[in-house]
Amino acid sequence: MDAQAMTTNDWLGVFFLLVAAVGMVATYVMVFRPSNKERFESQAAMALDDEDPIKLGEKR
Amino acid sequence: MHRKQLLNVGDAQILTCSGEEITVAAIQATPVKYDMEVVRWFTIAAAIYACVGTLIGVYVASELAWPFLNFDLEWITFGRLRPLHTNAVIFAFGGCALMATGFYIVQRTGSTALWSNKLAWATFIGWNLIIVSAVVTLPLGWTSGKEYAELEWPIDIAIAVVWLMYGFNYIMTIGIRKTSHIYVSNWFTMGMIVMITYLHVVNSMAIPVSMTNSFSIYSGVQDAMIQWWWGHNAVGFYLTGGFLAIMYYFVPKQAGKPVFSYRLSVLHFWALSFGYVWLGAHHLQYTALPDWTGSLGAAVSLAMIIPSWGGAMNGMMTLSGAWDKLRTDYILRFLVVALAFYAMSTFEGPVMSIKTVNALSHYTDWTVGHVHSGALGWMAMVAYGAMYHMIKKLWGVEKMYSESLVNVHFWLATIGTVVYVVAMWVSGIMQGLMWRDYDEYGTLTYTFVESVSAMHPYYAMRAIGGLIFNIGTWIALYNIVMTVRTASAARSANAVPANA
Repeated sequence: MDAQAMTTNDWLGVFFLLVAAVGMVATYVMVFRPSNKERFESQAAMALDDEDPIKLGEKR
Repeated sequence: MHRKQLLNVGDAQILTCSGEEITVAAIQATPVKYDMEVVRWFTIAAAIYACVGTLIGVYVASELAWPFLNFDLEWITFGRLRPLHTNAVIFAFGGCALMATGFYIVQRTGSTALWSNKLAWATFIGWNLIIVSAVVTLPLGWTSGKEYAELEWPIDIAIAVVWLMYGFNYIMTIGIRKTSHIYVSNWFTMGMIVMITYLHVVNSMAIPVSMTNSFSIYSGVQDAMIQWWWGHNAVGFYLTGGFLAIMYYFVPKQAGKPVFSYRLSVLHFWALSFGYVWLGAHHLQYTALPDWTGSLGAAVSLAMIIPSWGGAMNGMMTLSGAWDKLRTDYILRFLVVALAFYAMSTFEGPVMSIKTVNALSHYTDWTVGHVHSGALGWMAMVAYGAMYHMIKKLWGVEKMYSESLVNVHFWLATIGTVVYVVAMWVSGIMQGLMWRDYDEYGTLTYTFVESVSAMHPYYAMRAIGGLIFNIGTWIALYNIVMTVRTASAARSANAVPANA
């Protein structure tokens, strides 16, 4: 790699690519960490918790 | 004191601890009042725009098969109607479906009304005025020439303002939610709101020379890169992320089952957010763009298969133990077939981004087929599944006016999509092979006109596939209107106020 030829834009590109890559890895670790399983999976039924009939609000 | 405490769930929990359980229970049993009238209007608008948008698509597809259909009228030539078709289906149909479901989901999962009902109505009116302006300006040829961003600068500014109104209202509603957790669908919608704001503003930067004409501030290869950075991320965050928000709420609701793996849905969201922004360059293989950018785009595209298929499988597996519902629940069929097309499209796209495949597929109808397997098979199908579900809830009916017509619509949509996509696959691969074929002297075997002539049967087949899909949208609109009318008539007969 010719570091001398790298422009500011090139370095910014490398920086953001690395941030995205590290962020991706961190996400995988966070999601699949066994100690986090209960915390995440407890929300799985959240969409089913709003079974009350829709009561429209006042006209405002 | 009680009245004040009732307004805050956090306080209500403290009340429970202090022993006033009866009061709290009574409060919690009080149904939440939602602002759903604007959701109703967005839903009906989406159903209408689906009919009109796909009808224009059928017409422009027919013009390619039978060019006399432009009747030498400049306003209805392919070049002017094609952007009207794409804007109508993506931003009119898709936009109204996204805003309807977005405002619905954020209220339901947050157990709260909208932060501002007035702002939601202003968003509805503003968005529809933008659609009307597109209907006027695009046939007149007033266009910036940027794909999927053709509207001229005054309308671009209006889009930014209305979109920010939608986003601000949405995020503020999240802020006043009564639940502690922010459901994954809301994350997908917020990701879409943030990224589309950023993408639209940057891509639309232009120097105006009149009210109807402007020039991009970017030039040459930078303009191309910005264009496809916007183009593919509109697919990634709007047509994928936004509609995944729909999938993660309505598939569990319709199946009556919790999300198969909530952890996988979180991974799905963050992986798409980190990955999608890098893909745009794969649209520009073998161009003046630096070679490594296309390679990076292709590499990240391939990496995106993992979360995309994880998400598709997550949706499918949510039906575990409830597969039998597919026999009788036609709405669920829409959602499941949408997931199948999502899985297929998110595999096909990365494969097409590989340079060797791209050398054959790019600039051919294969790309058009790929886009429509996503737009018709994924986006439209999941949107209709959600719309049917919402209509029953919003108008308080047990069934649609005709469940059989939902089934007819499902089959027309599925068959129409398959006919369209297969026609474009065959046509596209044939085009690519004809264009690259040469004889022993190195001379091209076929002229371009010969390849156009060879496409004719497939262009006719594409128009027929689109027409089949379009007929389904009209049947859906009829069914929706009749459901609303029947519900309204029943409510009048029972003398219950419309907004009770």
